[in-house]
Amino acid sequence: MFKYLKKYWLLCILAPLFMIGEIAMDLIQPDMMATIVDDGVLGGNMSLIIVTGIKMILLVAFGAFCGIMCGVFATVAAQKFGNDVRKDLFSKIMSLSFEQTDHITTGSLVTRLTNDVTQVQNMVTMAIRGFIRCIAMFIGGVYMLYNQSVRFAIVALCGLPFVIFFVVFFLRKASPLFTSVQKKIDRINSLMQETIAGARVVKAYVKEDYELERFSEANDDLCSTNLKVHTLLAYLGPSMNIVLNICVVIIIYLGGITVKSGGPVSPGQIIASITYISLILMRIIFMAGIFNTFTRAKASWERIDEVLKSKAIHKNGNKKPNQKTKGKIEFKNVSFAYPEAAEEVLNSISFTLNPGETLAIIGATGSGKSSLVNLIPRFYDVTSGEVIIDGVNVKDYNLKELRNKIAIVLQKAELYSRTIEANIRWGRDEANPFEIKEAAEISQADDFICATPNGYYTQVTEGGHSLSGGQKQRISIARSVVKNAEILIFDDSTSALDLKTESLLRQELNKKFNGVSKIIIAQRIASVKDADKIIVLDNGTISNIGTHAELLESSEIYKDIYNSQLKGDEA
Amino acid sequence: MNNKNLPKGFENKVETESKFKDSKSMPTQARGTMRRGPGGPGGPGAMGAMIEKPKDLKKTISRLLEYFKKSSKLVFLLIAVVVSVTLTSLISPAIQGSSIDAIKNGQWHLLSNLLIWLLISYGVHTLFSLFQSLLSARLSQSIVRSLRYDLFKKIDNLSIAYLDTHSNGDVMSRLTNDVDNISNTVFQSLGSLISGVLTIIGTVAIMFWYCWQLTLITLLTVLLTVFVTKKMSAKMRTVYRKRSKVLGRLNGEAEEMITGYKTVVAYNKEDYIINEFSGISEELMKEGIKAEILGGSMGPIMNSISNLSFVIVAAFGGYFAYTGLITIGVISAFIIYAKQFSRPINEIATLYGSLQTAIAGAERVFELIDNPDEDNSGSLKMENIKGELSFENVDFSYVPGKQVLYDFNLKVKPGEKIALVGATGSGKTTVVNLLMRFYPIDSGKILIDGNSIYDISRDELRKKTAIVLQDTVLFSDTILNNIKYARPDASEEEVINAAKMANIHSYINKLPQKYNTVLKRAGASLSQGQRQLITIARAILANPEILILDEATSSVDTRTERKIQDAMVNLMHQRTSLIIAHRLSTIRDADKIVVMDKGRVVEIGNHDELLNKKGYYYNLYMTQFAGLET
Repeated sequence: MFKYLKKYWLLCILAPLFMIGEIAMDLIQPDMMATIVDDGVLGGNMSLIIVTGIKMILLVAFGAFCGIMCGVFATVAAQKFGNDVRKDLFSKIMSLSFEQTDHITTGSLVTRLTNDVTQVQNMVTMAIRGFIRCIAMFIGGVYMLYNQSVRFAIVALCGLPFVIFFVVFFLRKASPLFTSVQKKIDRINSLMQETIAGARVVKAYVKEDYELERFSEANDDLCSTNLKVHTLLAYLGPSMNIVLNICVVIIIYLGGITVKSGGPVSPGQIIASITYISLILMRIIFMAGIFNTFTRAKASWERIDEVLKSKAIHKNGNKKPNQKTKGKIEFKNVSFAYPEAAEEVLNSISFTLNPGETLAIIGATGSGKSSLVNLIPRFYDVTSGEVIIDGVNVKDYNLKELRNKIAIVLQKAELYSRTIEANIRWGRDEANPFEIKEAAEISQADDFICATPNGYYTQVTEGGHSLSGGQKQRISIARSVVKNAEILIFDDSTSALDLKTESLLRQELNKKFNGVSKIIIAQRIASVKDADKIIVLDNGTISNIGTHAELLESSEIYKDIYNSQLKGDEA
Repeated sequence: MNNKNLPKGFENKVETESKFKDSKSMPTQARGTMRRGPGGPGGPGAMGAMIEKPKDLKKTISRLLEYFKKSSKLVFLLIAVVVSVTLTSLISPAIQGSSIDAIKNGQWHLLSNLLIWLLISYGVHTLFSLFQSLLSARLSQSIVRSLRYDLFKKIDNLSIAYLDTHSNGDVMSRLTNDVDNISNTVFQSLGSLISGVLTIIGTVAIMFWYCWQLTLITLLTVLLTVFVTKKMSAKMRTVYRKRSKVLGRLNGEAEEMITGYKTVVAYNKEDYIINEFSGISEELMKEGIKAEILGGSMGPIMNSISNLSFVIVAAFGGYFAYTGLITIGVISAFIIYAKQFSRPINEIATLYGSLQTAIAGAERVFELIDNPDEDNSGSLKMENIKGELSFENVDFSYVPGKQVLYDFNLKVKPGEKIALVGATGSGKTTVVNLLMRFYPIDSGKILIDGNSIYDISRDELRKKTAIVLQDTVLFSDTILNNIKYARPDASEEEVINAAKMANIHSYINKLPQKYNTVLKRAGASLSQGQRQLITIARAILANPEILILDEATSSVDTRTERKIQDAMVNLMHQRTSLIIAHRLSTIRDADKIVVMDKGRVVEIGNHDELLNKKGYYYNLYMTQFAGLET
C-alpha cells in the first residue's frame, strides 16, 4: 500500500504540517482564556481582555485556514492514491486469465474496484487527517495541561489506560461481529437478487411464501446480529464518558485543594484544564472510530491486494508464426481439466485443420465442445499436449498476436451498452460504416437493425436485454465478421436463429470467407453437414472424424444424432 | 454531414449522439440501465450519497411514523430517556460552574458536597445515555426489520409485468441502499435529533437565565452556522451529484467489462478498455477532489465557528465579569453550554443532507410498496383436471398500441402435445405468459376444462402447470434442493428418477459431492445445456398436469433431447404439454403443430399434414434438411 502512497509523499507531509497549525490554534485558545479570566477579570485589566480577544479571533481564522489546507492536501493525496489503485486493479483484472478470475465472482470484482477502493481511500484520508490529528492533539493537550499544572497532566495520564482498555476491549469484541454482519448482508442480497431474477420460476412453482420465509429468516438473522453489534458499541461511549467525568471531578477537587493551600493554581487554570482534558479524551473516543475504519479498510485492502498480487499465469511468447500458412490449427494429444476439477474434460484430442477448411464439432451436452475451442485463443492452458497454430504453439505466441488471428463468437452473446454500431465495430476499430453494414448483412442482422428508428445508432441496453436472443447472436456474429480474422469460431452461436436465417447466414459466410478457417459448434445436423471435417465428441474424446457422408457410414453416434433430428423421414 | 454517402441505417448519427450526451433525454430503456449501475448491491449508490430532494415530505414522514407506531412503547421509553439525558447534561455544567466559584470564593465546605452532586449527575447522565443507545439500537433494528420484510413481501408479490419493465438493479437498490439509508440516518440519528433539539432549547434557556446579554452575543454564531451550512450544502449537493454520476458510470463500465471479459479478451480490447476506464477513473478523481475538499472544509469551518463562540464567551464574558455582571464560574459554565449547543447544531447541519437523502429513499421504498399486488382473483379449485386448454379470440399487447397477439385461437384436447413454431417475435412466448397469468389478456378468453383461468385460483393454476424456460433459473443451493424446488417433500429416490429422466443423473453422480454439490454463482459453473437439464428435472419432479417447455432444450444436443422425450412419453401420457422450439426435431412428434407469424396463427396440423400443405412449415423444414440426403 505504501508503494502507492510514496508518489505523493510531499502531500502526505504537507497535510499533517498544516494540521499541526490547526491543532495548535485549538490548543492555545483555552490557555488564552485562562489569561483573560486570571489576569483580565481577576486582575482588573480591561484592555488585556480586548487585546486577547482580538488575538484569539485572528488565531481562529488562521486555524481555519490551516484546517482547510490540510484537508486539501490530504484529499488530493487520497484521491490520487485511489485513482492509481483503481487503474492498476482494473488493468490487473484485464490481464488475468480465466483460471484466476473464475473463482471470484463478477460482483466481487466490481465491489473491489469501487467499494473496497473507496474504503481504503477513506482510510488514507482518515490516516492523514484524523489519526495524526488525534496523536498531535493528544500530545499537545497533555503538554498544555502540564503547563497548567503537573498534577492535572498526571490525572489525564492516569485516565488514559482505562480509555485504551475500553477501546481495545470493545473493538476486539465487535470486529468478528462486523465480519458476520457483512456475510449476512451478502446473504440477503443474494436471496433478493435470485428471487427477482428468477421471478417467473418462483411464481410458476407458487413459491412466494417459501421465498418470503427464507428471506424473513435471513432478515431476522441480520437484524439480531446488527443489534448485537450496536448493543456492544452502546457501552463504549458511556464507559469512556465515565473515565472523562471522573477525571474532571478529580481535577476540580485537586484544584480546590491546591488553591486552598495557596498552591500555584488559579480558577482560570482549572477551567482551562477541564477543557484540555475533555479535548484529549474526546480525541481518544474519536480514535476508536478511526480504528473501526482501519479494521474495515484492512479487509478491503486484503481483497484488493489478492488481485493485485496475482501474477498473470499466461506468459507471453514472442515466436512469429509460420507465414506460409494462415489459420492452420493442429491439436496434438491435447488433454484438459478445469483448475480444481478432478476430471478431465478433454482427453488426448488430436486433429489438424488446414487454412480455409471448415471444422464442425458435434456432441452431447457436456462432452467438451466449448472447452475445446476455448483452448485455441488460449482462454485456458492445456493440461498436456499442444495446440499449434501456423506451426507455433499457442503458448509461444504473443497473446495479442494470437488473438488477433482469431474471431470467436461465444455461446452467450455478450453485448455492451453502446450503440449497435459500436458493438459491431468492437471487432475492428477502424471499420467504416460500409464494412459494418456489410458484416451485418452477412450475419443477417441488417434488416432488423434498419427497422429500428435509429438504425445502427440504436442504443443497446445493458446485457442486451432490449434485444431478442436471435438478434443478440446476429450482432455478435457481425462483430466477429468485421474483424477479418484468419480463424473464425462459432461456439453454438446460432442456436436462437430460426432455420431459414441460419441457412442464409451459412451461405453468406461460405461466400465471403472462403480462405478463412472456420470452426463451428452446433447441435443441428444441418449446421454441420457441409463442413470439410466433422468431429464427433463424446465424453471428452474424439469418437470419429470425417465428412458427413463418411460419418453416416462409420459413426453410430453421428447416425444416432442424424436420426434423432430426421427420424428416418424422407428428405 | 452528407447522408447520401452513408449506407442505410447510418443516417441518424448526429441526432442520436447529441441526444445521448444529456442523460435526461435518453430513451427510457437506456436510462433504466444507467440507473442500474449505481443501484446494484454494494454499488456506488451506497456511498455515492447523492442528495435527493423528497417530493412529498409530509406524507413520507407520516408513513415512516406508522412504522414507529408498531413499537410505540419503545418510542415513548426512548423519548423519556432522551429527555432525562438532556436534563442531566444541562445540570452538570451548572454544578461545575458553582464548584469553580466555590474554589474562587474559598467556600471549601461547599466544594466537597458539590463534587459529590457532580459525580451523581455524571453517573445518572451516563446511565441514561447508555439506555438511549440501547433503546435506539433496538428501535432502529425492529423498524428496519419490518420495513425490509414489507418491501420483500411486496417484491415477492409484484407482477411479472412490473419486474419486466423495471430494472432489477433499481428494485434491488431500494431494498438495500434505500433501506440502509433510512436505517442509518433517520433511525440512528433519531435520538441525537430529539436530544439535539432539547439540548438547544434547554441550553439557551439556562444561558438566558445566567446572562441574557452574553447569550444573545453567543447566538450570533448560530446565525453564522446556519448561513454557512445553507451555502455549503447547496454547493455540495451539485458537486456530490456530479460525482455519483461519474461513480455510476465507473461502476457500470467495470461491471460490464468484467462480465463481458471473454469478449474483451477475444478481441484484444484490453488496452482500449483500460484506457477508457482510466479516463473515467481520472474524471472520478477530479470530481472526488472537488467534493471531498468542499465536504472536508465543513469540519474546520464548523470548528472555527465553535472556536469563535469560545472567543466570544471568553472576551465578552471576561468583560462582563470585569464589570461584575457575572461571576467567573458563569464563564466556565458558558463555555460548556456554548459547546453543548453548537454540537447539536453542527450535527443537524451535517445531518441535513443525509436526512434528505434518507427521506428520498423512504419515498422510493413506499413508492414500490404502493404498487398493486399481482392479480390474485379467482378461487376455483381444480381437483381432477383433464387438461383441456382453449384460447378464444385472444388479443394482447404489452404496450398499448403495439399489439402482439391478434385474435389468437387454439384448442388443445386433454393429453395432447402441442408445438408452437415461428420466427422470433411471432408471439410464442407471449402465449405462455398469458396462460401462466403473468400478464392479463386484453380481450378474449383462456379456458382450462371450460373454466376461465381468471376464475381459477392463481396458485392452483400455477401448481398444476410446470414451466421450463430458455433462460434457466437456478438458485445458489445444492443440486438436490434445486431439483426439489417444486416439491420439497420429494424423496431422494424421486429426485434421482427425475434426474435420470432429464439425462443429468450420470453427470451429477460424477461430481465429488453428487447431489449435494452447491451451485455457485447461480449455477454459472455448469454449461448452458446442463443447466437446462437440471431445470427439466425440476419440472419433471413437479409432476404437473400441464407442462410448458419454452425453448427448454435449445442448448441440449438432439440425442440427449431424444432420450428425454422418450423418457417423458410415459410421464406425459394423459397430460397436456405445450412446446416452443426452433428445432424441428423437438416439435416433429407433436400432435399438433401451430405455426405462428406476427401474432397470428398461420397453420395448424401435424407434421405430415403441414408438409403436404407446402406452406410456411414446409419451407422451414426444407431449409433445415434440404439436400441432406444427397
